[in-house]
Amino acid sequence: MNRIIIGDRIVKTFGEGDEQRNVLNGVSVEINEGEFVSVMGPSGSGKSTLMYALSGIDHVDDGKVLFNGKDLSTVTESELSDLRRTKMGFVFQQPTMLKNLNILDNIILPAMRSNRKNTAKIVAKARTLMKRVGIAELETRDITQVSGGQLQRAGICRALMSSPEILFGDEPTGALNSQSANEIMDIFTEINAEGTAMLLVTHDAKVAARTERILFMRDGQIVNELRLSKYDGLNFDQRIQKVASKMLEIGI
Amino acid sequence: MFFRIIRNDVLKSKVITLTTMIFVAAASMLVSLAAILVVNLSGALDTLMTKAETPHFMQMHSGDIDIARLGAFAEQNPNVDEYQVVEFLGMDGAEIVLGNHSLAGSVQDNGFSIQNEKFDYLLDLNGNIIQVSDGEIYVPVAYMRDNTAKVGDKAVISGEEFVVAGFLRDSTMNSSLSASKRFLVSSNDFAELKNLGSIEYLIEFRLKDFSAIGEFETAYASAGLEANGPTVTYTLFKTMNAVSDGMMIAIILLISALVVAVAFMCIRFTLLAKIEGDTREIGVMKAIGMRIFDIKKIYLVKYASIAAIGSIFGYILSLMFQDVLLENIRLYMGESENSSYANVFGMIGILLVFFAIIVYVNGVLGRFRRISAAEAIRFGASQEKKRSVKGFSLSSNRLFGTNIFLGIKDVLARKKLYATSLAVLVISAFIMIVPQNLYNTISSKNFIQYMGIGNYDLRIQTSEPNKADEIAKTIERDEDVVNYAVMTTKTFKVKSGNGSEENIKVELGDHTAFPIQYAEGRAPSRNDEIALSTINADEMGKKVGDVLTLVIQGKEQNLAITGIYSDVTNGGKTAKAVFADHSANAIWTIVCVALSDESLVASKVSQYSSIFDFAKTSDIDEFVSQTLGSTIDSIEMVSYVSVAIALLIMVLVTLLFMKLLVAKDRYSIAVMKVFGFTNSDITTQYIVRSLFVLFIGITLGTLLANTFGEMLAGMVISSFGATAFHFEVNPLKAYLFSPLLMVCAVLIATIIGTSRAGEIKISEHIKE
Repeated sequence: MNRIIIGDRIVKTFGEGDEQRNVLNGVSVEINEGEFVSVMGPSGSGKSTLMYALSGIDHVDDGKVLFNGKDLSTVTESELSDLRRTKMGFVFQQPTMLKNLNILDNIILPAMRSNRKNTAKIVAKARTLMKRVGIAELETRDITQVSGGQLQRAGICRALMSSPEILFGDEPTGALNSQSANEIMDIFTEINAEGTAMLLVTHDAKVAARTERILFMRDGQIVNELRLSKYDGLNFDQRIQKVASKMLEIGI
Repeated sequence: MFFRIIRNDVLKSKVITLTTMIFVAAASMLVSLAAILVVNLSGALDTLMTKAETPHFMQMHSGDIDIARLGAFAEQNPNVDEYQVVEFLGMDGAEIVLGNHSLAGSVQDNGFSIQNEKFDYLLDLNGNIIQVSDGEIYVPVAYMRDNTAKVGDKAVISGEEFVVAGFLRDSTMNSSLSASKRFLVSSNDFAELKNLGSIEYLIEFRLKDFSAIGEFETAYASAGLEANGPTVTYTLFKTMNAVSDGMMIAIILLISALVVAVAFMCIRFTLLAKIEGDTREIGVMKAIGMRIFDIKKIYLVKYASIAAIGSIFGYILSLMFQDVLLENIRLYMGESENSSYANVFGMIGILLVFFAIIVYVNGVLGRFRRISAAEAIRFGASQEKKRSVKGFSLSSNRLFGTNIFLGIKDVLARKKLYATSLAVLVISAFIMIVPQNLYNTISSKNFIQYMGIGNYDLRIQTSEPNKADEIAKTIERDEDVVNYAVMTTKTFKVKSGNGSEENIKVELGDHTAFPIQYAEGRAPSRNDEIALSTINADEMGKKVGDVLTLVIQGKEQNLAITGIYSDVTNGGKTAKAVFADHSANAIWTIVCVALSDESLVASKVSQYSSIFDFAKTSDIDEFVSQTLGSTIDSIEMVSYVSVAIALLIMVLVTLLFMKLLVAKDRYSIAVMKVFGFTNSDITTQYIVRSLFVLFIGITLGTLLANTFGEMLAGMVISSFGATAFHFEVNPLKAYLFSPLLMVCAVLIATIIGTSRAGEIKISEHIKE
């Protein structure tokens, strides 16, 4: 199976002088095409930082990150922007939307950056995605006029506009109630089933239990790993059990 | 504690604090300068006119004079305090050589006088009455300013040698707007020169009480005394002396008002941004029970400190610059007696600015009341209202690129925020365009039409009217002449409402040949019509359509007033008519000539000068540049300085604005970057915002400049007696170069101001 991302002994340092500390301390990780991976760990363990490093949002201080075999440290800022826009999708805990655009405009914004002639196609695709996640009727609403769950769905639509090879999620359900969180995870599961690789950063065992491989982090290192099968809607409680006992085992 | 809070705050926002301080300093400097100049100008003018004992009434007269009759009139008139008749020996400029410079090209009526005994003294540069010895000559200060002469130069007057012993201030003829210039020589030398020129008389009076001037003027005219020449009163002397510097002060006042407005805008903008950023802290302080006044105090002290430092700098700068601007006043009028008060007035001006800032900041801080403690703590920044603009969405946009769309959308969505920078840009455009248009207007060839002079190439003036025909005949035969007109100015009596008589100078001839600009109505075309200059019309209380009764060849005749025009010649009191008159003596005759080719002017001037040695031939451009030259020059300088000031304001404010905006927009920038927008995309968006606002600013600024600015400039111009003023716009400058300059300035400032936007770390700002 082809690897989309290879992280090789990544080091990421914050602070200076005496205050300096390694948030990522030589982390190596690989993500395969179509794989559904999650990262767990306590606050400050470096899981979000790992995601920012793997997606090229932050530069690494040592080691390297390969995306489709290309070393991200050799790539210019603009090429990184292009990569993020065309090959990657992002969903964050907070609905990172521009306040002065309506829902539809926020969704099509990245796609519209360079592809103005295809506006009609882009809008059509956005409408299809919105219908699929159940927010078709919200397109002209302002972002302050809809619920958090609806905003997160809009965020997913935006991430999927470019049909990315991999979708990154940083606590995507962290700000939602359990009902909304479940619905969002259903959407993610469906998208993954269609072949998009995923990397979710989460605190929540219920989220991790939906993924096929869970990386556990502590103090800037991956300390353990749990492999499950692809989630098929069955035996969810057992999966959660496995995750929980692993967490207990390594003391997270 | 205050000190620490403020210090930390200032250190965190150096550029913003510095920019605000610069504007406060500039505003204080200009206000202080304006105050200092006003006090000095009025003081110096009073000092000069008091020391020189300027005549209250002066009648210039050429031709025969009846000294005994004048003496008797002065004796009998109860208003007269003192009276004298001064001889003014007019001489052709070519006969006067100062050092290496001949005055042949001078359009001034240069002449010689001796020091007066009773009043109208000619003063040296220390303000003392000059005592001149034989062989010495004192030169009008205007020739010092244009470097024509310096002390110790040899002066040759019609072959007689003199030494330039110094320069003189002449309270009646100092101004370049005054047509004559007096040189001072000793009585012995004057007697020797007397036969070499033509004598003109200055009949001068000082009244016991100047308020009786109207009564006196009427009495003088009714007595039928000598009146073959212009009449000037004390008020006009004062105006002419003050006009050049007065214009400069008016422009400084205008600019200082605008810069004060810009300073306020800056303060408003930075303060609002600060409050928004500090909402949570303000909420917390409110929640823990601090009073609004306590919270306000922190901000007030900060801005009071900025304003105080700025004001002090401004004051120091104004003291440094005042010498440059006072140079002209000092040279022409001398030290002012109350110059010591001037600095006090400057300080008062600055205190006004300072307190206005405090009051303003206090007012803006009033919105603290509206911050809800609970909301502020929970949501941080105060909840902004709905921001999207209906009907302008990315999905329906087919017109613009996405970055351009986002830039424009942002401006439309945050109108209040951008309104502040728009106001500054409008003001800057205004500062840039108005002086430029003013300069372009008064330096244009057409402007002389506002001065009561038609658009011709050269004028030949003679005070020997019987020779006018000779000139006309020569001109008629000249093939290079396309058009000419003979204008004869004569004095008539005009009946005023209460039956008394006054003198009026009427220019007779064909007024359609070289039309001038009429403020109202049109040129006279029939024998029973007349047009009046603005000053005359105002003084007589006449309007277009009224009737004026003139005494022509001993008979009273009613003339209909067809038009009112601006005039700056001959003290602004003139009239124009077409009727034929053979009785009254002509004061002077002017032959106006238009040539087929403008390049011939110089050669024609010298040709006619030698043919008509009894007349004065001058190039009209030269005439304008010598009378208005110093004013045009100073306005040209002001127009360049204003361009620089406007650009500086634009650059600083745009820089400030962009820095604040990037700080405010960190989150949106991070969002866009994470979704694949590059740094140059984001810079493009900010440039679009700036240019979009600038475009509106330029449009509004230009509109405002051409309406309100034209009105303001008209007020300045009316000090010359010109009315019905319209800007003559140089479209290339006003509509292409100026906007281009503004675009460049704003573009550069935007690029510099947003250069840090690329450094915004997505990972640090995406979680908000």
